[in-house]
Amino acid sequence: MGELAIETVKGRTAFEPGEAVELIVGWSLEHEPEAVEVRLAWTTRGKGSEDMAVVWRERFERPQAIDGRRLAVELPLDPYSFSGKLVSLVWFFEIVVFPSKEARQLDIAIGPGAREVLLYKAPPGGAPA
Amino acid sequence: MRRVLPERPLLARENPFATGRVLAIRYRIPGGLDPLVARLERLGWRAAIVGAKGSGKTTLLEDLGLALEARGFRTALERLSAEEAAFSRGRLERLAEAARAGAVVLLDGADELSPWAWRRFLRACGSGARVVVTAHRPGRLPTLIECRTSPELLAEIARELLGRRDADGALGALAAELHQKHAGDLRAALRELYDNWADRAPPA
Repeated sequence: MGELAIETVKGRTAFEPGEAVELIVGWSLEHEPEAVEVRLAWTTRGKGSEDMAVVWRERFERPQAIDGRRLAVELPLDPYSFSGKLVSLVWFFEIVVFPSKEARQLDIAIGPGAREVLLYKAPPGGAPA
Repeated sequence: MRRVLPERPLLARENPFATGRVLAIRYRIPGGLDPLVARLERLGWRAAIVGAKGSGKTTLLEDLGLALEARGFRTALERLSAEEAAFSRGRLERLAEAARAGAVVLLDGADELSPWAWRRFLRACGSGARVVVTAHRPGRLPTLIECRTSPELLAEIARELLGRRDADGALGALAAELHQKHAGDLRAALRELYDNWADRAPPA
């Protein structure tokens, strides 16, 4: 079992759509892996079946067991990160080691004002029973 | 009478009963999967995981597949649902082909097939094929294991998802109520727990 690290420069986790992001990834493994892949993907979380799409990936074949990379990624314009009671759309960066498939994720938000869109409105004073 | 809602509801991604978290809970089988694989071998590699809806058959079939792969077997998994059984002929032919090539075939939802389609599938797999299926009722193949649920199991899973003990017994009482309401269907009971928690305030 190795150690995986994934973070953005300055530690930011919320971004405007289309923003350029610098990502730092690192790994410390017992053996040289076949490959290490870094991905940007979104997934739905909540009630019902989940959906997922990888929109960007970069793969490093036969890297050293202990190594790291600095990567530049341009974030997509959509879909925005959003959350309601039933479903959330969550963006994340992920580092995956092959063949073990050890992985680590970093959840981020992509949306106007560098915020997740929230799909609820708390009624003032409460709602009728 | 007004019901005061929390300042903001629990977001879907925060809900402890979100699908992804529920699916991460694996089937609990006393003694692990080794005795089950041994029984499968004794049954001649043709057997059924039997149980009611929401009792964990699919989860156990997936776990059994992983256990067999870890022992060096190739597996081929296919899921049938009531909606698509009539259109599944091509998929079943591919599955039978995998069986003839030596893979252990895992068929989820065998009782969606008509008796005629079932016999045709088994014939297509060949006499020496290794076939494990899930079914709501016994009869298609010798029973490997019967999946059962209990209010205690539901409470245990809920506690695990919530990451806390049930100090006042409230969760146990709710689990008993939901287990009875959904006739032992844990999937349906956990979906109701999702709704129940969705109206609660997020953790501080």
